[in-house]
Formats: sequence, structure tokens, C-alpha cells
Amino acid sequence: MTPEFDELQTALIGGNHVRTAEMTQSFVTSGATPQDILEKGLLPAMQVVGRRFRDGEVFLPEVLVAARAMKSAMAVLEPLLAAAKYQSKGKVVLGTVKGDVHDIGKNLVGVMLRGAGFEVVDIGTGCAAEKFVDAVRKHQPHVLGLSALLTTTMTYMKTVIDTLRSSGMDVPVIVGGAPVNAEFAQQIGAAGTARTAGDAVELVHRLIPQA
Amino acid sequence: MQLAMSGGRPDRTPFMCQMSIGHMLQQLNVAAADFWCDPRVFADGLVRLQRQYGFDGILVSLHGHDPEWRQNIRERFPTDGGESIRWNDGSVTFFPLDDLPHHTPVSEPEPREIDPSLIPKEIDYIPVSQGLHFHVHPKHAFDILHRVRSLAGSDVAIHAEVTSPFDYFLDWLGHERGLMVLIDDPLTASLMLKKFAAGVAVIADGMCREDIDAIKISSPFAGAGFLSRSHYEEFILPHERTVVEAIQRTGIPAYLHTCGAIGDRLDLMKRTGARGLECLDPPPIGSTDLEEAFRILGGSMFVKGNVDPVNTLLLASDAQMREDVCRRIALGKKYGRFILSTACSIAPHVPKEKILMMRSIVEQDQPRKRTIFGKKAVHRHDT
Repeated sequence: MTPEFDELQTALIGGNHVRTAEMTQSFVTSGATPQDILEKGLLPAMQVVGRRFRDGEVFLPEVLVAARAMKSAMAVLEPLLAAAKYQSKGKVVLGTVKGDVHDIGKNLVGVMLRGAGFEVVDIGTGCAAEKFVDAVRKHQPHVLGLSALLTTTMTYMKTVIDTLRSSGMDVPVIVGGAPVNAEFAQQIGAAGTARTAGDAVELVHRLIPQA
Repeated sequence: MQLAMSGGRPDRTPFMCQMSIGHMLQQLNVAAADFWCDPRVFADGLVRLQRQYGFDGILVSLHGHDPEWRQNIRERFPTDGGESIRWNDGSVTFFPLDDLPHHTPVSEPEPREIDPSLIPKEIDYIPVSQGLHFHVHPKHAFDILHRVRSLAGSDVAIHAEVTSPFDYFLDWLGHERGLMVLIDDPLTASLMLKKFAAGVAVIADGMCREDIDAIKISSPFAGAGFLSRSHYEEFILPHERTVVEAIQRTGIPAYLHTCGAIGDRLDLMKRTGARGLECLDPPPIGSTDLEEAFRILGGSMFVKGNVDPVNTLLLASDAQMREDVCRRIALGKKYGRFILSTACSIAPHVPKEKILMMRSIVEQDQPRKRTIFGKKAVHRHDT
């Protein structure tokens, strides 16, 4: 991590969203570029959170408050990054498949991906295959993520992938959820699966080589 | 079952799984809305499935059915994959043929204030799943337990179920917001949990007046997939202990059901004082090695579960399944206080033959002698 951003990073990792936003604004005011604040300050801090989560050093509440702090900082930076035509590491569309209303896992993956510098479009829960097709057409993501908690709904992931392929879309699809494993992912033609949200970030990194 | 729960030596390994609503619907061929809402259909279905599978007990996972529920229906109509009901208040519930209902309220509820004083003293709902509540009719709160006992007789253990204070807390505030409040305002979170614990204890106390053999405390968000050990100790343990004490002071055993990864916190779960633990999901779904769990618990709690409902029951070959089940029965016999069961619920599309195979493995191991359950049992209060 970069020493000049130590305090900002401590605030973010500790989940202090008020302090994180204040310090981000302070860096902007003092002339730091938004890219530097993001890439040298905020993203490395979120990587620390992600690593600690993966290693079982922190848990969901700590990740959620850190993500909220990240969001508060991004509220300051986003207009500046947009003005500077800043490119994210890549775009990921996420959704829970039809028949399934559970979103905790999907949301957590979204949190971790945003924290790692990806743009995330969350299309919600109970999504039919056509909704995923429409979202891919509209947002042109680098990766599409499908979530399912239930053994009854995980089978619908194959329907989504088949519908995408028959629509001529070759976007890599990753799948996740409690009952999903690598064998199942391979069987339905997914590009991969991950047991944890941190693993999902690594998987997306592998699927977007330039990220 | 009672002997396994209390530390005695049963004539054979007791066998009792909890079933997902989807699995029950798949097996029973009844209208999903009727099964969910109608106390007669629900009780009859539970007993039919207990007999189909030869379970030694029945988990009654819902309570408080309104016998006049049909009066609340404005419209009932078929929909893709099931049927829907539009209620008199305008809300709609979709009842799939293989899953829990999905409820759509007339309007999305406003986020609640983080204020313990807003939590009602009497809890009249079960927070079944995200966005799905089961309303508890105050005049019929525990009728279902009586109905199931009447149908099942005294050869079968009847287990009731309450939901943990932490579930109510997360449902009240929303999951993500609730989890953040643990860090933002731990004192208020604890006060809210205390109020929910008092409310759940009242429900549990009411159940204990019925002819039941145990109460399961459902607590799916207390594992390592969500909380640290220290948060477990601060926000789960004291409040589940309150509920456990309310149950066990009546002589009825309580057990904790926490799915997912709990291998790192078995010692803390033991400190709730509960008589038993359910689930103990093995890897990859959870983190519990059964033999290690027996060693940590040291014979102080009964264990119900550990058969992977997805990778063993749904996906594995018959030979692999037999090996998994036999290994657990052998460990159960070695350490005692074991009830053979799926870790979490039997998934909807698990073929019934798989469950029947589990039963035949148990019976081949040792045939069962007759046991009396409920208020007719002579040794309940010795447990």
C-alpha cells in the first residue's frame, strides 16, 4: 500500500465511511488525481479487505462496512473519474436466476468486484434468461455472473447459458451459490465457479486478462 | 430418538431428516398453496412423509396456521410453474411446485428505524426466508402440533421449530443493514436481539405446553459464512441461550440448527446450553468433520445431521451415498448421541429412493424396537 494514503486506507478498512469520504475529498482538494486516490489508495485497501475475508480474518459485517466506505469515497470521485474518462478494470453483469429470490451471495460478489475496481451492473433476483440476454446486449459486459442458492434453481443456469449462446452471445459466464461446484459449472458450459466472493474476484481477473 | 438425545444407548441409530418444502410438495402431489396454508393438509402431509420414509420423528417447521385462511383469498389462479393467490389486501403469493412461496406485497415496506422500542413484545410471524413471512394466528398458534401428534400417534417424536433472535433481527432491518449495525451500533443491536429473544422465548414456552419431544432453534445466519466467532459470542450466544433456557426449563430438549460453516464455533454453540446440534454440513458446503465434532462436543450434545444433502443425496452415486451414510452411522455408534439426518434439508428433487436407501441402511444395521414419544413417554424428564 502507498504510505501517503495510509490514513485513508485505515479508515476504509475499518469501515468508517464518514472519515473515508472526508479524506477522499481532502485529497481531491489538495490536488491528488482521482486516479491516484482510487488506484493507490482505495483499491489496495479493498484488496486488503478481500484478502482478509478470504482468509477468514474478517467476516460479512466488516466487508459490508468497508464496502459502504468505498461507496462513500466513490461518490466523491465518480464525477471526476467520468470527466477524466477513467476506464474501470472491466464490466460485470450479475443476477440471480429465475425462481430464486436470494441475493446475499450475489450482492457480496458485487461488493467485492466493485472494491477491486470493476464496474458492476446488478440486474436483481428472479431473472429469466431473456433478462440476462437483454442485459448483455445493453451493457456489453466482459463477464456475466449467475447466482442461485437452491438446487431447484441452479439448473436454470444452463437455460440462461443456452439462451445466450443461441442468441449468438459468447460472453464468459460464471456461476455461484451454495450448491454449485466446479463439475456442475463445467457441465453447463460456464467459464468457472468460485466458493467465495473473494475467489469470484480472482476468477474475473483471470477471465479479463487486461484487468 | 430420546435415548440418542439424552446420552443413552438406542437400539439402533435414529433416523429423521428435515425436508425442504419443495421436496414435500414433490412427494405429496398436493396443491402447494393448500400445503403451505391449510393446517389439515400440512399436518396430513408431514405424517404421510414420516411414514413413507420411516423417520423416527417429524419436524413441524410451521405453526400458527389460520383454519379460515381461504376467507382471505380474493383470487386463485394458475401460473407458470405453480399457482398464485391474490389476497384481499392486494398482495400476491406465488406457490411453486418445488419451492417456498414467493410473496409480493402491495408496496415495498419502508426501512425500519434502528430502535429496540419498536419491536413488539409478542411476535406473530415466522421469518421463513427473504421477503417471506408466515403469519401466526394468535388463537391457533400451536394447534398444528396437537394435530400432528393426533395423526402420528405416540410412536413418533414430534419436534417443533422456532426461529432464532438473530434471524428476526436481520429480517427486521434487512440482512445487509442488520449486519452493519453489529459494527455501527453494537449496543443497540444487542438490545434489539434481547427483545427478539424474549419474544421467541414466549413462543417456545407456548410450544412446550404441547405434546412435543424437542424444539429446534433455526439459526441459518450464525455460521462462519456470515459472522466471526467474536460476533457469535456477542450477538448469537447470549440470545440463543435465553431461548434454550426457556425451552429446557420445561424438560424439553432444544437443539440448534445452523447451516454452512460451523466447524470453528462448535465450542461456542455448546455454551448455549442446548442439548443438541443439527446440520453440521461437511465440506464443501460446510466445514464440519463429524469425528472432530464428536470430540469437541465431548458427548455433551447430541448430533443430528452431517449427510450432505446436495453432493451425497442429489449428486453422488448409490455406492458413494451408501459409503457416506455407513461411515456416519459407524461414527455415531462409536461416540453415541447421534441421529442420522441430512445436514440441511432434503433438496426438492432428491429421489425418494435415496431416502428409502438411507432407511434400509439403518435397518440393516439394527432393527428398531418400539419407543413411546410425547407425554406418554416415561423418561422424558430424565433427559
